[in-house]
Amino acid sequence: MDFKLTEEQELVRANIREFVQEYLDPIAVKIDEESLYPADVIAKLAEMGWMGMPYPEEYGGAGTDFLTYTIVVEEISRSCAATGFTFSCHTALGSGPIYNFGSEEQKQKYLTPLCKGEKIAAFALTEPGAGTDVNAGTTTAVLDGNEYVLNGTKTFISNGPVGDTFVIFAKTDPEAGPKGMSAFIVPKDAPGFKVGEIFYKMGIRASQTSEIILRDCRIPKENLLGKEGDGFRIAMSTLDNGRIGVAAQAVGIIQAALDESIKYSKERIQFNRPISRQQAIQWMIADMGTELQAARFLTYHAAWLKDQGERYSQQASMAKLFAAEAASRHTSKAVQIHGGYGYIKGFKVERLMRDAKITEIYEGTSEAQRMVIAGSLLR
Amino acid sequence: MPKIITCFKWVIDQADIKSEPGSNRLILDRVDYKISDYDRNAIEEAVRLQEVYGGSVAALTIGTPAARKSLKDALARGPEQAYFVHDASFNDLEPAQTASLLARALDSQIDYDLIICGEGSGDLYAQQVGPRLAENLNLPCITQARKLTIQENQVIAERKVEEGIEVVAAPMPCLVTVLPEINTPRIPGLKDTLAASKKPVTEISLQDLGQYYEPCLKTIDLQATTMERKCEKFDPADGLNKLAQALVKAAAIS
Repeated sequence: MDFKLTEEQELVRANIREFVQEYLDPIAVKIDEESLYPADVIAKLAEMGWMGMPYPEEYGGAGTDFLTYTIVVEEISRSCAATGFTFSCHTALGSGPIYNFGSEEQKQKYLTPLCKGEKIAAFALTEPGAGTDVNAGTTTAVLDGNEYVLNGTKTFISNGPVGDTFVIFAKTDPEAGPKGMSAFIVPKDAPGFKVGEIFYKMGIRASQTSEIILRDCRIPKENLLGKEGDGFRIAMSTLDNGRIGVAAQAVGIIQAALDESIKYSKERIQFNRPISRQQAIQWMIADMGTELQAARFLTYHAAWLKDQGERYSQQASMAKLFAAEAASRHTSKAVQIHGGYGYIKGFKVERLMRDAKITEIYEGTSEAQRMVIAGSLLR
Repeated sequence: MPKIITCFKWVIDQADIKSEPGSNRLILDRVDYKISDYDRNAIEEAVRLQEVYGGSVAALTIGTPAARKSLKDALARGPEQAYFVHDASFNDLEPAQTASLLARALDSQIDYDLIICGEGSGDLYAQQVGPRLAENLNLPCITQARKLTIQENQVIAERKVEEGIEVVAAPMPCLVTVLPEINTPRIPGLKDTLAASKKPVTEISLQDLGQYYEPCLKTIDLQATTMERKCEKFDPADGLNKLAQALVKAAAIS
């Protein structure tokens, strides 16, 4: 066993950390408060080669392993979880299915500008009536000559308002259950494609979320990903990757909560001594650090399994479940350590607590993760 | 086209240094290391000059084998190769020794036209290695540069001096030490970081140098200095008298 990151992974961590300290830390409060998309930071990430990092250089990526990508999501999220998610949503959820299931032509045409960060990717699966019950979706795709015609409404689509290239799931055979679902690459300028309502959220407010409305949306038939009926498999496999990213995001959030709690508890004087000398505070910090370590190891292990070409679906769910719930628990504790100050806007722990909650919900709720894990254990 | 050598030192990250309450002893058991901030300006300037004038950039450092970790970091910042002079006994190098060993390495193994050093190191800040290295190599030396250009075979430097800015020129080969204000070091992108692993590193051992070396410094103890500050507030309505009396009482003025 080897728990050591490579020198290269350590250096990548140091350099992305330096990047976020320079460009993201100074704006994180403002983009949260005003629900602003950090366009300049995303453009800078693109310019510096981060946006397609786990994909091969021939498509404009950097060819890193998935563990290195996981570390980067963690470090961006440690500064701003919304930007960390915008990044992982683009890289794993949006670009991932095109890399993993696309034809060579589709990769050349769509993946390359995504890897270069010239375009932003999004993944549209959820519908108003189809959340955890993915198969309940009613969006349809009908082949008409050389085009597919898509109709339906997708909701809670991250990167929806800023995305250029969407992977959208629709039923090509509504009677066939999961086997009737297919995946399509839909550019935002396709006729009949529209960004619907934009949602303002409790947390990760700088991440942009909206409905996507498809009304007789026409795309060339070569934009089908894989074959008709592959949609469910593509969605589940993409979510397995995405879950490692959400777990990494949660790990970054817990790390930030711990950073803030250590700093504040050493500075805050009550009863003539720093509150870090109080056992009640010490125990909260000890638990936070311990669960952070556990969450990080689960997450890195899932990423490592993926890099080894082994099965990792169960481990990705475990990492996501544990890290997300730990993030909620410990950001709440971090606010507690900060007392009244922790409840005030502008204190980082207040944002962290709001940002943590979503990690228990998206890309499969904690309940959905338990279903996956139990299904795998009881098989 | 100039062959540029940029020297750097791998130092303790100041942010990680803690002191023991009471004894003021520095706690260094959990510190991380980094490229000295001033040397990051030196590396950046070398790379910037190469972008303008062409040529090549190599990074050079000296230290214990543990400093090997610094090489990828330095190479991610732009130089295309690195030289690493190392020996297990190099943990308490004195500036004159550092300069003499670096000079020996440069003389015997490395081609150069221009050597760029930071103004001083982030830990000792003795500001000696640059000028001493120039002396050992018998090179012209320009210190405290805040702007560099190259014209024909000359380095033109703006130097910050007490009364203003002085512009000087030196023929290459020469050595320049740079001020932090000369540039803002860029943050390496992903591809720079990944490319660092593939760049060549030449290792130079003490034996390779064939130079006698015996440590002449030994760190016995490290203590933090403390500055006691006293804060008293005076009401402007009382005028300056109370302030003056307090200063006299504290023996700050008489």
